[in-house]
Amino acid sequence: MADPKTKFLVVDDFSTMRRIVRNLLKELGYTNVDEAEDGAVALQKLNSAQFDFVVTDWNMPNMDGLTLLQTIRQTPHLKHLPVLMITAEAKKENIIAAAQAGASGYIVKPFTSATMAEKLEKIFEKMGKGAVA
Amino acid sequence: MSDFAGMEELLQDFLVEAGDLLSGVDNKLVDLERAPDDRSLLNDIFRGFHTIKGGAGFLNATELVTLCHLTENLFDKLRNGELEITPEAMDVILAATAGVRDMFGFLEQGVQPQPADPALIGNLRQALAGELGAGGAAAPSPVPAPAPVVATPAGSEPDWNLLFNAVTGLPVAVEAAAAAAPARSSEEVIEHAIGRRATDKPGSTAPVGRRDTEKARDNTIRVDTARLDQVLNLSGEIGLTKNRLNALRSDILNGLNDTETLHALDVAVSQLDLLVSDLQNAVMKTRMQPIGRLFQKYPRIARDLARNLGKDVELVLAGEETEIDKTMIEDLSDPIIHLIRNAVDHGVESAAERRASGKPEKSIVRLEARQEGDHILIMVADDGHGMNAEKLRAKAVEKGLITDEEANTMDERQSYNLVFLPGFSTAAQVSDVSGRGVGMDVVRTNIQKLNGSIEIRSQLGKGTTFIISLPLTLAILPVLLVRLGEQPFAVPLSMVREILPIEAQHIQEVGGRATMVVRGEVLPILTLATMLGWPQERPPEYGVLMHTAELSFILAIDSFAGREDAVIKSLDDFRPKGVAGVTTLSNGQIVLILDMKELLGNAGEFRGVSRSVLLQGGAALPATV
Repeated sequence: MADPKTKFLVVDDFSTMRRIVRNLLKELGYTNVDEAEDGAVALQKLNSAQFDFVVTDWNMPNMDGLTLLQTIRQTPHLKHLPVLMITAEAKKENIIAAAQAGASGYIVKPFTSATMAEKLEKIFEKMGKGAVA
Repeated sequence: MSDFAGMEELLQDFLVEAGDLLSGVDNKLVDLERAPDDRSLLNDIFRGFHTIKGGAGFLNATELVTLCHLTENLFDKLRNGELEITPEAMDVILAATAGVRDMFGFLEQGVQPQPADPALIGNLRQALAGELGAGGAAAPSPVPAPAPVVATPAGSEPDWNLLFNAVTGLPVAVEAAAAAAPARSSEEVIEHAIGRRATDKPGSTAPVGRRDTEKARDNTIRVDTARLDQVLNLSGEIGLTKNRLNALRSDILNGLNDTETLHALDVAVSQLDLLVSDLQNAVMKTRMQPIGRLFQKYPRIARDLARNLGKDVELVLAGEETEIDKTMIEDLSDPIIHLIRNAVDHGVESAAERRASGKPEKSIVRLEARQEGDHILIMVADDGHGMNAEKLRAKAVEKGLITDEEANTMDERQSYNLVFLPGFSTAAQVSDVSGRGVGMDVVRTNIQKLNGSIEIRSQLGKGTTFIISLPLTLAILPVLLVRLGEQPFAVPLSMVREILPIEAQHIQEVGGRATMVVRGEVLPILTLATMLGWPQERPPEYGVLMHTAELSFILAIDSFAGREDAVIKSLDDFRPKGVAGVTTLSNGQIVLILDMKELLGNAGEFRGVSRSVLLQGGAALPATV
């Protein structure tokens, strides 16, 4: 059911982590994946090419994941993009901040491809509904 | 057996990247001691631990996660101004960093790390509670404790707005639904929202690797893709040129030899020439790594050491971007540590002595790298009291390493080099830091193994500089081709200073040995023939002035055939004494590359020949008498 054409942008400053996420996505059948090492680079990429989904880390130099999320939501041609936050923070404030900023989902490290699949499914499902409603 | 079956690749990536991060953190900690309020430093360090924690979680390294988590929390409070850095807190932080590094050590062996020292964890918790030194405070539980079991009924993904309302209680977008989310269940909602499940076993779906390395490191190299692209591009070009040459060959074999064909051949061959040397360069570059990766671990070592010794020393780095062959980086690590320890321990004076001699109390040790021509220079310089040649000689005589006579003929440079003798240690008292006399000789041996050399410059009262000189790469060795009769031999060009004609009237005999005076310096003449154990058939015509760490001498030869960049092929199973390897000349001839140091050892204490033997030629070896 995974649409292999869905284009992902994985944002993380730790390349090992980008690789982990990329591998998990591949396991789920998503092979169209690009990477960015921080929010600023991610924005550049988002502005210069068409992406369908953003998976971002929270804590990064230059521009962190929350700022990236907020910027995406404030940019007319990007604001529809689903954004999945991945972070090691399980604190309440963080989750609230993410929700407030309009995150489509939130995963705490470490996680498995099953968790990831579940999250993605939920997000796609909701997007589908949103389109109908 | 590895605890990381199926995750080796991930583990390797993690170790390389997290190792770099931790070294960065170490350096920033040293900076932080000087600027405890620097928010951006605190932020960077926080992020370092945070990132390591995130990666460690995927490796199931719970103990590492716990340690990083506590340290990260501490930095969170520090950067938010909730806590302030105290010297005690700094010690705990440094101990935690060391703990993390220890755990990396376990991971390198493919073993899950042991829990950190409970005392360290206790201290961290106390520091977190802002009461370091006081009794145990309530500490936050280390994060990925076994995840609470949360039932996951189908289709129960929380509505993010609802969640928001539930956990904040803020009257944003108040709907009837808000009331339905009682505060008590908010934890559960969150637990659910973040999607952690009891069944999550992070390792189980990690990328599969087939390598069963016990020591999970260092067989890999990270290469800038631009450099790989260049290699690819060049090999493509070479393929095209090869096709062109193939076509030309069939033309020529078919009898075509007009000027046009020959010109085309000429062009193709010179193009190939250019491309191959470009390719060699490009391939070499893939092995080159910035030396900064090696340097960055030293400031911390220098700091800890200086603190132990009660000195104030700053290690200043320069030229971190200088690139050097990866294998050399690994082999340089220990020698440089030794030189830095030496500088901090012996080179630099105590604060009191420095004050007395009018120097600033803080001493600077400089670690610098730079490229000079086809060599890399690495310098470790201190601003301490310098070396005393007189004392060094006395010490060496006392230890029976040299005779009085030898001591008297030594100049300053030779005296400094005494520290490289096995068994030499200048510290009157052996400290636990350095000064056991095992070390400097090992440093030199290791540097020489890399075809490099080490040199000492020192000025009394001003400081000492150790200069390591290394070839850019180990694969290509510039050589001078010399001849003995018709037989060519290659000697490393790095040792050659100049080539002189040997004329009878300039040869003098000193102590029964032939010598020559070159610009005021008396140099022994050693004949290559004698060194190799060949008969000297005629008087040698040329001398090559050669220079090693211990001595300068003139190598007498019959003639020379120019220089060449030799690609060294080592003789794996068969290694005659004095031969470093072989190389093939452009005309296809095979030439032995001489290992001068070994030959000198063979030549029995720089044994020379007498003037008459040298000039007569035909005179046989000492055996005749």
